[in-house]
Amino acid sequence: MKLDPRTKLFMILVVSLIVMMSATTPFLWAIRLSITLIPIVLLILEKKYASALRFLLAYSTALVLTFFFLSAESEGIVASLLIGYCGIVVQFMPALITAWYVVRTTKIGEFMSCMQKMHIPDGIAVSLAVVMRFFPTIKEEYSSINDAMRMRGVMLGGGNVLKMVEFRMIPLLFSCVNIGEELSAAAITRGLGGEVKRSSVVELKLGIADYILMTFLAAATVIFVVFKYFL
Amino acid sequence: MENKSNKLKAKDFITIGIFTAILFAVEFAFGMLGYIHPFIVASYVVILPLASGIPMMLFYTKVEKFGMITIVSVLLAIIMFIGGMGYLGAPLIIISGLVADLIAKSGKYKSFKKTVLSFGVFNLWICANYFPILITADAYRQDLIDGGYSAEYVENLFLAINVKTIGILVVLAFAFGCLGAVIGKAAVKKHFEKAGIV
Repeated sequence: MKLDPRTKLFMILVVSLIVMMSATTPFLWAIRLSITLIPIVLLILEKKYASALRFLLAYSTALVLTFFFLSAESEGIVASLLIGYCGIVVQFMPALITAWYVVRTTKIGEFMSCMQKMHIPDGIAVSLAVVMRFFPTIKEEYSSINDAMRMRGVMLGGGNVLKMVEFRMIPLLFSCVNIGEELSAAAITRGLGGEVKRSSVVELKLGIADYILMTFLAAATVIFVVFKYFL
Repeated sequence: MENKSNKLKAKDFITIGIFTAILFAVEFAFGMLGYIHPFIVASYVVILPLASGIPMMLFYTKVEKFGMITIVSVLLAIIMFIGGMGYLGAPLIIISGLVADLIAKSGKYKSFKKTVLSFGVFNLWICANYFPILITADAYRQDLIDGGYSAEYVENLFLAINVKTIGILVVLAFAFGCLGAVIGKAAVKKHFEKAGIV
């Protein structure tokens, strides 16, 4: 199934809005859960079974722990670590899953043409596109640098924390700067930053699935707000 | 490039994107620690400026035109919004970015003193994220407890961040921003200028 990037952006907005307002009643929790399930289902539809399963497992574990084993009265080191873990997962996982889904399934070309259609200034659009594209790169670069440093014995517990940070951060910056130069060269060759309005190979069009999903998301938001603040 | 106007070019936007991504990665790595203990949330004002000092100083060496630092703050505000930090802080993040940009501009983006000062102001964005805790204190407290946090965590959070301590936190963010800038500048000099990258 192919969703329009605009629908995906709207989904990010809705999920982060709903996650931001904390759920207090079982009904609100139900809305929140169903909202969280949407990106997971979408991931499955995109045949990304592994990541869907991972997210599902992590999220449900955290939920179960939060509701059945932890309460406002729990104290102690283990409990506070667990609360930390569950807090991160329950609070941020829905937005994270959605963002992950969007980044994974949106091509940069689609994203740019969507931004153009929404009349977002070019500066913001290009910068955002680079940010989106760059997270996986940072992760990759970091893990290679990490391996290299571990081979040389520069690691956690190796004594000097400052050295550890320095030896990882500086090479990472080096490679990021280099990749950035290549990226700009590639982008300028493709006519980014030219005077003429760019055309796009991808024709964006809202389909039935887009309208259904958008209506559902909007309805969920309205119901959530009404039930939380007005009833 | 024959027309040396003050308009930002594609290359500038790509630089902005890259450094925003790095800055956010650093923020995210340390931000997760905050769930262990609320006092760590308060100590972001010390940790983050120091950790982001090196990449940001490298970024400042690439800034030559007005608007780049502002756009970084706009992107940060968008990411923070998506990350669930709330809409109250977002305008403040952008304002601190804008002011930082103006300060750096007054030194033509070359003056060392102005750069240090500008990064100090830029780091006030960290305090902007505390904003919901201050303004909507009671609702926020209830939200956290309902959201599954322990009462202990919430109490400590409000002990560390409240109307009285925010002044200290702002000053700390600024001071450590300046310190981070000095350290970052030294690191950039040590590694990048010698290598001829900047």
